[in-house]
Amino acid sequence: MSTIRPRSAAGYWLALPAAAWMLAVVVVPIVLLVWVSFWGGRAFSTASPLTFDNYARFFANQTYLKLVLGTIVHTATLMVLTGVLGYCIAYFLVMKVRSPGWRLALFLAFIIPFWTSTLIRAIAWVPFLGVNGVINQTLMFAGATQSPIEAFLYSHTGITMAQVSLYTMMAAGPVVYMLNSIPPQLREAAMTLKAPPFVVFRRIVFPLTLPGVVIGQVLVFLNVMSDFATVATIGGNKHALLSNLVLLFYEGSQIRAASVVAVLLMLCMLAGVVVALRVVDIRRLGA
Amino acid sequence: MGGKLGLRLTGWVLGTLTLVFLAYQWLPIFTLALLSFSGPTGGTTFPMNGTSFHWYEELWRASVMNDFKPPLLRSTLLAIACSATTIVLSVMAAQAMRGRFRGNGWFFYLMLLGLMAPGILVGFGFAIMMRLLGVELSWDTTTFLVQVSWTLPFGFLTMLAVFNRFDARIEEAALTLGASRLTAFRRITLPLVLPGVIGAGLFGFSLSYDEYARSMFTTGPELTLPLAVMAQLDRQLTPEIYAVGTATTFFSLIAITLFTVAFWAMRRSTAVRRS
Repeated sequence: MSTIRPRSAAGYWLALPAAAWMLAVVVVPIVLLVWVSFWGGRAFSTASPLTFDNYARFFANQTYLKLVLGTIVHTATLMVLTGVLGYCIAYFLVMKVRSPGWRLALFLAFIIPFWTSTLIRAIAWVPFLGVNGVINQTLMFAGATQSPIEAFLYSHTGITMAQVSLYTMMAAGPVVYMLNSIPPQLREAAMTLKAPPFVVFRRIVFPLTLPGVVIGQVLVFLNVMSDFATVATIGGNKHALLSNLVLLFYEGSQIRAASVVAVLLMLCMLAGVVVALRVVDIRRLGA
Repeated sequence: MGGKLGLRLTGWVLGTLTLVFLAYQWLPIFTLALLSFSGPTGGTTFPMNGTSFHWYEELWRASVMNDFKPPLLRSTLLAIACSATTIVLSVMAAQAMRGRFRGNGWFFYLMLLGLMAPGILVGFGFAIMMRLLGVELSWDTTTFLVQVSWTLPFGFLTMLAVFNRFDARIEEAALTLGASRLTAFRRITLPLVLPGVIGAGLFGFSLSYDEYARSMFTTGPELTLPLAVMAQLDRQLTPEIYAVGTATTFFSLIAITLFTVAFWAMRRSTAVRRS
């Protein structure tokens, strides 16, 4: 017995506002995007004939195809970087930090920036990366280089550096959760049976945290794929990913082209999530 | 023993890595704050050419073009509205999930979709839909609608987690003693899950306050704070941007602290009542 009768009509009424809201604001617009991407003609009207021309035009352009490839490579790089870094940090926080006070302090130090604006945090990288930026000043002061390196601001390296700082916690968070849920007896048992530490990690700990790793990777993947703001802030106008292209077309009032890119972006993301779900069954996580 | 030494070595290596990453994550934020206090002739990087409140004064005296006060007000109002809506809808939705209505699996995935769907696609799609419907874009109507679709799933998942750990026997006792379901919910359930409600509210506030992608497509000529910051960045990079960044970060940290204090206070009061 609880305050809601199982399988009663009340459940429908309570869920209705949220469901209607999500349908109207998320599902319908996305379906609409797919539809618009097939519009022929020039006018913005629902009477437009449907064609594949928009897609044909996109795929005929070498620059755009390179951009798709570049986006995928960039995202994969970030997944590897944040994945390795995030796992190391998560492992340290859960397994190596013994004192509860320290653990809380470190945990807060990681989580607080997460609650502030990603946009501001991306902007915060600008004074670091410029030709006269902090990194170059430090390098020149240390005598590592004579002249400033121009490879940071408005460059791919700069974007990657900022995004690693923005998204590593997304990769680490789910791993922390999974590491915490491993009963200590499992590791003790393995060690009693004389397994060396690395074997314990490889055969016991890592497989048990794999769902966390995959979820973290999905989060990083989805966020980096759609993060046009950091790219625009740090990359200037010189660098673009697929998501910047959506914006570029949109600002140029090329709604059809923008929709095509948006749909492709969506397909890439769907493919990524489907692959991840094949590795890990999300529904079994709660159990 | 070799193994022990190896374990300690791993600990040191991982610890160093963790601290280095912490510095990596925090240094830009501190630098931003530091540079916002640079002198009137200070540029966008070091040297600071003295320390002053010059850029904050500029911010306060701003002309119409780069006045950040109205956007700040809009963003704050919007965040409060999103927070309140998220609280109401997510409590309703999570309570509905407890009733295991038919199709609750689909409902769950619908909410997850809101979490997964990137802002740029939702915002863009919604803007097209509004154009088809002939609705004028505005921060207090269209932006509000889109932002709630982003904050609601977070609140919903928070409430689901809270209800999962909720001891339903307490409700049962109230119902056995003759309370109606509504009374039991209002007098027993709601006070007990209040810390979770605050958490959902915090998600609503913070996510809406910082949202950029969804707002960009759906806000009319009157910008919200992140949009105004980005517009200023496109025009000219001055330490004024750093001052805005520092001020808004400070503001959102205060909001989070308030929510956290409320959270602890609620949890303590429910814990005391329970014992």
